[in-house]
Amino acid sequence: MDETVAEFIKRTILKIPMNELTTILKAWDFLSENQLQTVNFRQRKESVVQHLIRLCEEKRASLNDAALLDIVYTQFHQHQKVWDVFQMSKGPGEDVDLFDMKQFKNAFKKILQRALKNVTVSFRETEENAIWIRIAWGTQYTKPNQYKPTYVVYYSQTPYAFKSSSTLRRNTPLLGQALTIASKHHQIVKMDLRSRYLDSLKAIVFKQYNQTFETHNSTTPLQERSLGLDINMDSRIIHENKVEKERVQRITQETFGDYSQPQLEFAQYKLETKFKSDLNGSILAEREEPLRCLIKFSSPHLLEALKSLAPAGEWDPGPEQLYVPLYPRC
Amino acid sequence: MEQANPLRPDGESKGGVLAHLERLETQVSRSRKQSEELQSVQAQEGALGTKIHKLRHLRDELRAAVRHRRGSVKARIANVEPNRTVEVNEQEALEEKLENVKAVLQAYHFTGLSGKLTSRGVCVCINTAFEGNLLASYFVDLVIQKPFRIHHHSVPVFIPLEEIAAKYLQTNIQHFLFSLCEYLNAYSGRKYQADRLQSDFAALLTGPLQRNPLCNLLSFTYKLDPGGQSFPFCARLLYKDLTATLPTDVTVTCQGEEALSTSWEEQRASHETLFCTKPLHQVFASFARREKLDGSGLLIDCFHCTGNTSEK
Repeated sequence: MDETVAEFIKRTILKIPMNELTTILKAWDFLSENQLQTVNFRQRKESVVQHLIRLCEEKRASLNDAALLDIVYTQFHQHQKVWDVFQMSKGPGEDVDLFDMKQFKNAFKKILQRALKNVTVSFRETEENAIWIRIAWGTQYTKPNQYKPTYVVYYSQTPYAFKSSSTLRRNTPLLGQALTIASKHHQIVKMDLRSRYLDSLKAIVFKQYNQTFETHNSTTPLQERSLGLDINMDSRIIHENKVEKERVQRITQETFGDYSQPQLEFAQYKLETKFKSDLNGSILAEREEPLRCLIKFSSPHLLEALKSLAPAGEWDPGPEQLYVPLYPRC
Repeated sequence: MEQANPLRPDGESKGGVLAHLERLETQVSRSRKQSEELQSVQAQEGALGTKIHKLRHLRDELRAAVRHRRGSVKARIANVEPNRTVEVNEQEALEEKLENVKAVLQAYHFTGLSGKLTSRGVCVCINTAFEGNLLASYFVDLVIQKPFRIHHHSVPVFIPLEEIAAKYLQTNIQHFLFSLCEYLNAYSGRKYQADRLQSDFAALLTGPLQRNPLCNLLSFTYKLDPGGQSFPFCARLLYKDLTATLPTDVTVTCQGEEALSTSWEEQRASHETLFCTKPLHQVFASFARREKLDGSGLLIDCFHCTGNTSEK
């Protein structure tokens, strides 16, 4: 086994917390059950790691096996990376997408390898029809840097791919090109969504954020909701604006639903608006052209924050169209 | 005003008479009062007495009424009481009606397309089926507001929902729903065939089944006689029509040199036709049946049956 590969595997295993070690090794599926049983996981971490490296050597682990371990680790620690969303599109009148996994993998690898001689590309498929791709970048003259890889999660037969943001920005166009051509699309565009939580991005982009639907089988009517006011409150206290509060509650619930919101950290919108002013003769209000603005929202949990704004009275929930852009629509 | 000493002379004797008169007067008034009091007491006594009589009378009446009621209640319990059964019957009838309505609403699922009105539009439920087997259900929550839009849905991500919506949602909702039904039913059917192949006929496959999310490209290798000496066939099925459950293009090739012999060529061609015309799992069922016939001479019909009867 190559020394660099051994070092790479060692560093990857050292990153794994002890309580996850067996789970991740099993998911990696490289060392056999028998081999794993010979390891005493209660020792000090260094000893465990050394034992594992010896087992990997016995089995002649290759660079690809090491890369797969790295992918498995990243799959378990998705939130350590920040993910961007890319959307691809086909030309008009394109044929039906007959996605062939082998063809895709070969094409993707070929395109990258033709452009940069030194690049390590590894694939791992998951049950939800997602392909995890790991790319370690090198140049014409240097070997690939295994410690700064880029990850792409592509959902085949959909236009969406998620990419971990990395510092090596110069490779992004090439990566986009490879993905587009290999998946038989024409164009790729970066969407204005970014988050550490891949599941949340998926929920927004695939519109799977609310999987409860009204059917005739459901026994609980959706209209029954307490006002969210304190139940222990004295019954003699009457809210003056009870009607208003109920309206706010209803609109919030209709828009955001009862489920937990996807965890979005950043959203950006372009807005064209005219300036409204109480003072007559304000320069801005007299402009013919609308003002063009870029609005950026950021928060540890953007959608929950917005959801709590209306009931807190900070935001008048006007027409529902205000909330529609937050969920990319059909 | 009383004089201090009634026995003084002259004025004193007047005082004496007056005082005496006064005393007599007070005596009279006292006795009058007493007699009045006596009268009032007697009157009160009389009143109380009549009240007691009245109350006793009332008590007797009430007792009689209670006795009467008890008697009639006992009589009622003994006989069948007509009022109560009417109430029970009405309630039962209403419950039955409610159950019927619920059953009808649930039965709508079997039509494949059902819906429920929501506060902003309608929540449509598409129940897919293939060969009489009820498969997955998908929901689309529509907002009925110009422009129509989809609020949220449970359609899989690889179904071209956005394309279908772009074509039909604004102009013809019916066409949108029927088109979506077609796509989803076809997808469910293809998926069902692929799943059945993997689960029921794994013995005939010599390698893993390659499939994609839409199940519109299937690639596999199989042998007619597992464990035998013959070379395996490679099949590649393309379903270019996403609204169909049968492939549009089929290529069957044979690995190995025996591909040149005519018998293999005939087999190969017949397999191609079979895959084009019959559902995948039924083709394999016929392979399995043929094998059983050749092998043991026993006709086992169960594979054929499980392909056709409905499962829930």
